Amino acid sequence: MTDSALPTADNRAEFLRGMRVSFPVLLGFIPFGLLLGSQAAMKDFSPLDIALMTGLNFAGGSEFLVVQLWTWPPTIPLLIGLTILVNSRHVLMSATLAPTMRHLPRRKVLPALALMCDESWALGLDDARKRGGVLSFPFYLGLSTGLYLSWPTSAGIGALVGPILGDVTRYGFHMAFPAVFLVMIFGMWTGFRAARPWFVSLVVGALTYLAVPGPWYVPAGAISGLLAAYLWARPE
Amino acid sequence: MIDPTILLVIMLMASATYATRIAGYLFLRNRTLSPRLTQVLEAAPGCVLISVIAPDFISGRPADLIALAITVIAAARLPILPTVVIAVASAAILRQLLG
Repeated sequence: MTDSALPTADNRAEFLRGMRVSFPVLLGFIPFGLLLGSQAAMKDFSPLDIALMTGLNFAGGSEFLVVQLWTWPPTIPLLIGLTILVNSRHVLMSATLAPTMRHLPRRKVLPALALMCDESWALGLDDARKRGGVLSFPFYLGLSTGLYLSWPTSAGIGALVGPILGDVTRYGFHMAFPAVFLVMIFGMWTGFRAARPWFVSLVVGALTYLAVPGPWYVPAGAISGLLAAYLWARPE
Repeated sequence: MIDPTILLVIMLMASATYATRIAGYLFLRNRTLSPRLTQVLEAAPGCVLISVIAPDFISGRPADLIALAITVIAAARLPILPTVVIAVASAAILRQLLG
């Protein structure tokens, strides 16, 4: 029984296999975390603030977004609404992972889903498909643990060292943010057709920014894009 | 130690995100999602992220617009670190040259 709560030799091997598989991805997390932390520090978040945010929320897109749109006092409904929108694809991810977890009790699945990110989902699902559609729970935990720990750690370190580097790169640093966002967007690129709603978001967001003061260009752009995706959706 | 407003935002973010993680498992596991809803959900994160940086695409500073164009090309081809280095360096140099 690889699903037993007891740490059998089999479970340990599966856990370690998960950690090994996740390692190259983990290395990719670190620069994102460092950047997020350093940019959070520029918005006066402490290293503890950002470690807590990344540790409890553990969804990078929404964290970059909240840091970028951060004002004092913060526009809380806007930030939370956009967090839900940017993370809404998790609904799809956990729905597609569900059939591979039929052999697991809810009390195990629900806490384990807190660790689900794009990468642990993709690697976990891929592995489950190779094993007849059954997710190896200790493998998933091994996969997720290293990825999870690297995120608040690198973001916290970024917030500590960011202010030192911030001065060196001050003149061009405003371009770091679009750079991170563009890398995330191209990471989701599957072709021009699927990307068309993003162009709608870009145009509507930019026009709204010109017309309406405040951060409302973000929901305006996002919702227009979603509407476009809905209307352009292929029925098959 | 930690500002109560920041703590509130973090707790709300964490709860909202956790809800998105368990919702598909709890409510959709025995159903097939319509292709339309699937495509909307797949497009969602990109729609939000591009909207956040939309103002950068209409910057009034030519230096920043050129740097952004260079950044787009870099982001389409390179991993995160070289992209950020190219973005920051090109913005700094172009602002020095063009103001």
